[in-house]
Amino acid sequence: MKKSTLALSLLMTLSPLAAFAATAPLDLVGPVSDYKIYVTEEIGELVTQTQAFTDAVKKGDLATAKKLYAPTRVHYESIEPIAELFSDLDASIDSRVDDHEKGVKADDFTGFHRIEYTLFSENTTQGLDALADGLNKDVKDLQDRVAGLTFPPEKVVGGAAALLEEVAATKISGEEDRYSHTDLYDFQGNIDGAKKIVDLFRGQIEKQDKAFLAKVDKNFAAVDKILAKYKTKDGGFETYDKVKENDRKALVGPVNTLAEDLSTLRGKLGLN
Amino acid sequence: MSNPTPQPAPPSRALRWAVAGSVVVMIAAGGLFYYASQLAAAKRQINHNEIAVTIHGHACEPNALTVPAGRASFRIINRSDRAVEWEILDGVLVVEERENIAPGLSQVINANLLPGDYAITCGLLSNPRGTLHVTPTAESDAQAKAKPSMVAFIGPLSEFRVYLSSQGTALVKAVTALQQAIDAGDLAQAQALYVPAREAYQRLAPASQRLAELDNAINARADYFEKREQDPSFSGFHRLEYSLFQQRSLDSLGPIAQRLVTDVTALKQQLLAQSLPPEQLVGIVVRNLNSLADVRAASGEEERYSHIDVNGFAANLQAARKVVDLMRPLLTKSAADLLPGIDSALNAFDAELNGLKVDGHYRRYDSITADQRKQIADKAKALAVALDGIDPALGLSGLK
Repeated sequence: MKKSTLALSLLMTLSPLAAFAATAPLDLVGPVSDYKIYVTEEIGELVTQTQAFTDAVKKGDLATAKKLYAPTRVHYESIEPIAELFSDLDASIDSRVDDHEKGVKADDFTGFHRIEYTLFSENTTQGLDALADGLNKDVKDLQDRVAGLTFPPEKVVGGAAALLEEVAATKISGEEDRYSHTDLYDFQGNIDGAKKIVDLFRGQIEKQDKAFLAKVDKNFAAVDKILAKYKTKDGGFETYDKVKENDRKALVGPVNTLAEDLSTLRGKLGLN
Repeated sequence: MSNPTPQPAPPSRALRWAVAGSVVVMIAAGGLFYYASQLAAAKRQINHNEIAVTIHGHACEPNALTVPAGRASFRIINRSDRAVEWEILDGVLVVEERENIAPGLSQVINANLLPGDYAITCGLLSNPRGTLHVTPTAESDAQAKAKPSMVAFIGPLSEFRVYLSSQGTALVKAVTALQQAIDAGDLAQAQALYVPAREAYQRLAPASQRLAELDNAINARADYFEKREQDPSFSGFHRLEYSLFQQRSLDSLGPIAQRLVTDVTALKQQLLAQSLPPEQLVGIVVRNLNSLADVRAASGEEERYSHIDVNGFAANLQAARKVVDLMRPLLTKSAADLLPGIDSALNAFDAELNGLKVDGHYRRYDSITADQRKQIADKAKALAVALDGIDPALGLSGLK
C-alpha cells in the first residue's frame, strides 16, 4: 500500500507532463486565427497568380506559362493542410496522374499537373483552354470555401506534420512535378507552410518543451540550408534533376525527423 | 589488544543512505516498469482494435464499414500497384486521411468519429466510394448532451478574431477614403463616404465598445462634451458628421479626419490584441442590441445629423448574425432547441429593416415614424433575449 503510493508519487514526478501546465485553450485562439489570416493571404496570391498563369496558357505564350507554373503552385503547397480538406477541389486542382486509372488521358485528370503535362511534356499550350478555365474557377471556389470555414484547431496544429509527411512522401523522390521538375518550389512551399505553423504557436510550444523547439528549429535550418544551394538568381529554384545525390540523402534525415517530431505537436498543445 | 573476532562495523551513514537510495531506485524502477507495461498494454490495445482495410486495384475491402462512435484505428493495406490515398469524408470535407500509401505497405489512421454516415475515398479517384457508418454509443450520446468544453470554442473565437481583423481592415480603408475626400475638399463625396465608414464601424461596434477610451475618441456623441458641438474636445465620427451634414462645411475638418484614421488603425490593433472569453462573444452582441432597443432606435440620436441610423442598425445585425453563425455548430450539438427561436428573431429583425429600404437604400431616420421605431426596438430586443439564452444553455460562464 505504502509502496504503491510512493511509486505513484514518483511516477508523477517522473512524468514529463506533470512538470508543465497544460496549454490553455484560449491561448490558441490568436495563433489559429493568425493562421487563417496567413492562409487567406496565400489563397489571394494563388487566385491572382493562377489568373496570370492561365492567361498565358490561353494566349499560347508557352514560355511565360512555363515560367509561371511553379511560383503559382507554391501558394497551394504552403497551405495544403487546409486546401486538402476539400477533397473534391484537391482532386481537381492538385491530383497527380497516378490518382487516375486512365492516366493522362483520364477525363477527370485536371488542374496543375494535367496542365504541367501538356506544357512541359508535350511542349505546347494547345488544347488547354478548358483546363485553364477550370483551374481558375476551382481556385476561386477554394477561396470562397476557405473564407467560410472555421478552421479546426487540431487540423491547423496537425498541419505542420502533414506538410512534412507530404515532403517525405512525394518531394524527395521528385514525383510531384515529374514533367517540369520544379519540385523544389513545392518543397520550399511545404517547408515554409510548416514553419509558419511552428512560428505561430512558438510561444505555446516553448512553454511546454523548449528542447523540442530547438531541435525542430535546427532541422528546419538544415533543410533550408540544402534548399538554398539550389536557389537561382531570380528567386526561383533549379530543376530537381540538378539536385545531387548526397543532398537528396542529406534531406531525408531532417525531413523524417521533422515529420516525426511535428506529429507530437497536437498532443503537446492539448488537441488530441 | 587485537581482537580476533571482528565485530561487524556499525553500518556507516553513507552505506545507510546507499541502501535507502537503492530502495528508492528499486521502487522507481518498479514504477517505471509498471508505467511502461501500462503503455505497452495501451499500444497493444490499439493494435488489437485496428480495423483492417485493403485497397485493391479497383475497390477497397471491406468497402462498407460500420464502427461505434469514438476513437477508431484503421490499418490501410495497399495491395494495388500505385501509391494511393484513403480518406474519410463528411460531404466533401476530409475528416481524416492518409496520402501516398506505398504499394505493398500499410499505414494506420486514427480517427475520433462522431455518429453519422461518411464516405470513403479508396485509392484511385475513379474507384467507387466506400461507406462508413458510425453508430452512436452510450458515451457519444452522453457527449452530445454534455455542455461543450473550452477547446470547442477555439474555432469560433478564432474565426471571430479573423472577422475583427478583416472588418478592422475594411474600417481603416473606409475611413481613409473619407479622410481623403475631406482633404480633397469634396463635400458631396465626403458625405457619401461617411455612410460606408459608419457601416464598417457598426460591424465592429459590439467588440469596439469594450475599449472604452479609444471607442469614445471614435464614436462619442456631442452630448458627452460640456459644450456639445462647440466643445474643442468633440472629435471622431460624429464631429465629422456634424460638419458634413449640419454645417455642410469641410472647414478645419482635416486634423479631425486624420486623427480618426489614426484611432481606427489603433482600434484594429487593440481588438486583435484583446482576449475574448466565450461568454463575452455572445455578451457583447447582446449589449449592443440592448442599447439599440433601449435607446438608439427610439431617439435616433446616434446619427442625428446624417440620419443614417438604419444603416448602422443593419450593420449591428450583421455582427449578431456572424456570432450566431460561429456558435451554430455548438448550438446544434448541445442546445439545438434554441436555434429556431434565434433564427426567427434574426430574420424578423432583418425583415423589419429591409422593409425600410427604398430603391436599395435605407430611408433617412427622420422619416421613420414613432411606431416604426418601436417595431425596430421590439425586434432588436427579441433578438437580444433569444441570444441571452445561449450562455446558460452552453454553460459559457462556467467553462473549463
